[in-house]
Amino acid sequence: MWPFIARSLEISTILLLAAIGELLDERSGVLNVGIEGIMLLGAAAGFIVGDAVGGFVGLLVGAAVGGLIGFLHGVFSISLKVDQVVSGMGIWLFAMGFVTYWADRYSGPLDTKIPKIYDLSPMFPIALLTVFLIWFVLAKTHIGLKIRAVGENPFAAEVSGVDFIKIRYLCVVVGGALGGLAGASLIISYLGAWSHLPTKGLGWVALALVMFSLWRPLILLGGSLLFGFLWQLAISPETIYAGIPAPLPVLRMIPFIMTILFLVVISTETFRKKWALAKPESLGIPFFKE
Amino acid sequence: MLNSPQADTRPGEVVLEARGITKRYPNNVVALDKVDFQLRAGEVHAILGENGAGKTTLMNILFGVIQPDEGEIYLYGRKTRFKSPIDAINMGVGMVHQTRKLVQAHTVLENIILGHPKAGRLLNLRKVREEVEEMCRRYGFRIDLDARVWQLSAGEQEMVEILRALYRGAKILILDEPTSVLTPPEVEVLLNSIRHMAKNNIALIPFITHKLPEVFEVSDKVTVLRRGKVVKTINIREASMKSLAEYMVGREVLFNLTNPKVNLGREILKVENLSALNDKGVVALRNVSFSVKEGEILGIVGVSGNGQEELAEVLAGLRKPASGRVIFDGQDITRKSVLERLKMGIGYIPPDRLGEGAIGNFSLVDNILLNLYYDKEFRKSIFLNYPKIREYTKRLVSEFEVITPSVDTKAAHLSGGNLQKIILARVIPKTTKLLIANLPTSGLDVASAESVRNRILSCKEKGMAVILISEDLDEALQLSDRIAPIYEGRIVAILDADNVKKEEIGAMMAGVSQ
Amino acid sequence: MARLEGLSFKKERIIVLTGGRAVKISALSVAFSFLVFSLFLYLEGANPVEAYLNIFSFALAPELGLPATLHRGLFMLFSALAFIVVYRAGIWNVGMEGQFYLGTIGAFAVAFAFPNLPSPVLIPMMLASAALFGAGYGAITGFLKGKLDVNEVVVALMLNNIAFWLVYLLTVGGPWAGSIASSSRPLPEPARAPRIWETPFTSLLAAALAVILYIFLKYTPLGYQIKVYGGNPNVARHVGISSLKVSVLVMALGGAISGLAGYHMWAGDAAFYLIPRPEAYKAVGDMTYWGIIIGLICLLNPLASIPTSIFIGAITVGSTVLVRRFRLPFGLDILFLGIITISFVAFQFFYNYRIKMRRG
Repeated sequence: MWPFIARSLEISTILLLAAIGELLDERSGVLNVGIEGIMLLGAAAGFIVGDAVGGFVGLLVGAAVGGLIGFLHGVFSISLKVDQVVSGMGIWLFAMGFVTYWADRYSGPLDTKIPKIYDLSPMFPIALLTVFLIWFVLAKTHIGLKIRAVGENPFAAEVSGVDFIKIRYLCVVVGGALGGLAGASLIISYLGAWSHLPTKGLGWVALALVMFSLWRPLILLGGSLLFGFLWQLAISPETIYAGIPAPLPVLRMIPFIMTILFLVVISTETFRKKWALAKPESLGIPFFKE
Repeated sequence: MLNSPQADTRPGEVVLEARGITKRYPNNVVALDKVDFQLRAGEVHAILGENGAGKTTLMNILFGVIQPDEGEIYLYGRKTRFKSPIDAINMGVGMVHQTRKLVQAHTVLENIILGHPKAGRLLNLRKVREEVEEMCRRYGFRIDLDARVWQLSAGEQEMVEILRALYRGAKILILDEPTSVLTPPEVEVLLNSIRHMAKNNIALIPFITHKLPEVFEVSDKVTVLRRGKVVKTINIREASMKSLAEYMVGREVLFNLTNPKVNLGREILKVENLSALNDKGVVALRNVSFSVKEGEILGIVGVSGNGQEELAEVLAGLRKPASGRVIFDGQDITRKSVLERLKMGIGYIPPDRLGEGAIGNFSLVDNILLNLYYDKEFRKSIFLNYPKIREYTKRLVSEFEVITPSVDTKAAHLSGGNLQKIILARVIPKTTKLLIANLPTSGLDVASAESVRNRILSCKEKGMAVILISEDLDEALQLSDRIAPIYEGRIVAILDADNVKKEEIGAMMAGVSQ
Repeated sequence: MARLEGLSFKKERIIVLTGGRAVKISALSVAFSFLVFSLFLYLEGANPVEAYLNIFSFALAPELGLPATLHRGLFMLFSALAFIVVYRAGIWNVGMEGQFYLGTIGAFAVAFAFPNLPSPVLIPMMLASAALFGAGYGAITGFLKGKLDVNEVVVALMLNNIAFWLVYLLTVGGPWAGSIASSSRPLPEPARAPRIWETPFTSLLAAALAVILYIFLKYTPLGYQIKVYGGNPNVARHVGISSLKVSVLVMALGGAISGLAGYHMWAGDAAFYLIPRPEAYKAVGDMTYWGIIIGLICLLNPLASIPTSIFIGAITVGSTVLVRRFRLPFGLDILFLGIITISFVAFQFFYNYRIKMRRG
């Protein structure tokens, strides 16, 4: 039982890291639909460096690559005023292409894995700490107020002396780094070997999680724990109950079906109003400065 | 940061001076041509001009949003350049924006301290709160610092902007159309606080397009701009309404439009106990009942956000009513779709021209087609009959006097007035019985507004029923046969427009006389 | 403003983008990606010019790669069209993968259910069923988008993954499992379609669909309504165009087109006539995403996407030469597609700004 929980917490960790990064992006008004791509690139970089140097270095490099791609998204969507969805899609498609070319030539398990404590990856407490930290920054600090203001109304922030461009760049880089870290820890800590496009839709689930969370870190934590459990259940149901009647492919569908159901529920009239209030007002809107 | 020398200004001292400011735009339009301007401490110096006179450009230059091509700015006698709004703020120039630059989801206090050095790394609001409260007392502002901005009225939001500027140490305050969206009582409050601030040695520059009476109430001096040039700078005591209007427009302005009486026909629209919710799920329209006849204009007048938007949308079929009935030409249309209503001859002119009325990157032909695509007459078997649609568009363009290079021009290239004419040309010919015009002249220059008003009058002469929704009481009084002030979702009264006092309606719009 | 050797550069905002400029930007972004790709080829130790010559001479030679090029290219054309018709309404269709799987299921279900019908009856039925299954699957996304404004990208991605496991369920040990490990049974004899020039006859269908779609979007009232909704959904609402109707319609159309791709790939191709191993059909499913970039570079023009799809097909087929003759790694073709995507995104800058150069 415990190994199963530890595994599902690891999936939660990955979702949590990716989603909290995205949450930070979106709070500053930048939508990044390319997290799946950032995770892929982080995973590939983490795998290759982790294989050559060591697990922890791999994680760091994965995060750095994620930050770099986040920065690229910033250049496109903040400085070049490219539509944020187009830019995010571009990053995702690019990552699919680049990672296939770059990492598919490697096979076999990683030599060095990071040590685990009672089967649990050290990434889990790190992710928890990150979520708490981001919650604290957003809720209690001046820079957090600035981030929220930029996400709501960059014009208002600007006339209050907030350099919204700097704030947005800060958020996309940190958010990207967290996405890259999520990808790297998927490979280095959870999978331990490269496979073709290993993220398998986790990044998209993370994106949906941010929407469910009403942009609140603590709800995000709950959502990640739930979906980590569902995901792991879909992979190895036998550890919970040997005689589960549904065949494996049906179980594999569950996290995806649940994601759609959650999205539908929060889009119904009753939730929509709450949602509209919580949503950063300027999310996804390019900001032209004359 | 506040190292500028303004702390010891004396009343009457020149605080800001602009000399020979010129600004050209890439298409060689000269927005400002050698503009001179002088401002003294404690003075209220209004800048008056029509849309396109260069007011916005001048304002943006004074606030550091854009840089002039030529000319100098002197602050307290020292030559200065505002590189950015922040620069201007740090030197004691504040701005109150017409489109509020506030974070709606945050509290008043959060808006005031955002980005302020005193807020500290960790938000410590206690000390800041005391200071802001003290400031409110000094200038006579009454406002709940913990309210979320979206919960505040337009007037209160303006106070927040003023407070924010003052807390930043502003000694010169630029006010962009300060009274345009306020109720008459709110205007009173604002004018009072302007006097208060002036007494405290703060210099104010209100930029004003239409509201001439208020200029007289509060200003010491007026500078009139026309086509980028200063036409006149004058002490208010030496000016009259008529002379100022002439300076603005450059010709004698007739403040009267002839509003012909038309014999009323059948009842076209009857609204019974209509209620509706707004987007936030709050009741915005409460139990409204009225009717309109053929050949009649009913003016619904109120300050923005009192339910008129929801009323228009319910009538056009864009919003489902919570209760009540809409009867059109004897038929219950409460549940009919937008398309069905269009086909029945109900036309709607929405207030947001590029957001709701026209598609900017569509050609004029494609924009006119918005009201024809469902019409079998403009088809050829299963296809759209583009040659015919083109011809039709050309005819309308000349009939409605739209100034455009061709009918293939993208709508976004048209000026506001011409764009509105295209929208009228799209809606009016397909409207046979009922026209709903929602803020049809907002933001238009005087000439275009006049032509739009004439167009609406001619609809009435053709025997249509017209509902005119307006925030401009003068306009509503000029055009309407009956006038219905709306306040907090209720129609306060329905009055004959011929014998009604303006003050009376003003009070009703503000919810005073209930 | 930047200065360089007596020249000054200034960026200038563009309010309305003209068609000609957009075409130029697309072409430049593709040209730029060739440059970047050359760099990768060089780093891998190949001479870029030689590599390009090899790619295209192989891919376009009738006796060598051309049939495969057309086959691949027209397969991607289905996806491109499925993306275009939906994005014309301003909605993202990233569900081509799932719609493609469902189309496959639709086609095979009919064939397995009526194995004894004569070909002229069975094959049209398979096609119709493929389109219907794809359309239904696409319509789910469209319905949720139109009715509740649920994010179409996330829903479609989830549906893609669900569809993958659905095919898996049917083929791997499921009711359609065949004798070869983890593939389906082959199609019954009458379901085997005629072929034109070593490609499935549905290649012609793809090209015809592009033409029909072009006319539909440009000249019919329904096409106009889609355009209006894509231009500004709010204006569309004001003139009586229903958001639900448009989003269901376009997603169903897109789904139907993607569904036909399912027939085209597995049921129309003699190399298969069965649903292959999960990895193999997943790899083809991944290819559907390139329809997005084809649609975007073609500026949503269905006609332009015919040659572009074939061009992209040529690159993916031609790159196999790089592996065999130059001993370069696999996946270079996919890398190239990635590069086109990112360079297209970067060039979007010129949609909003133009750079003015002045002397002095």
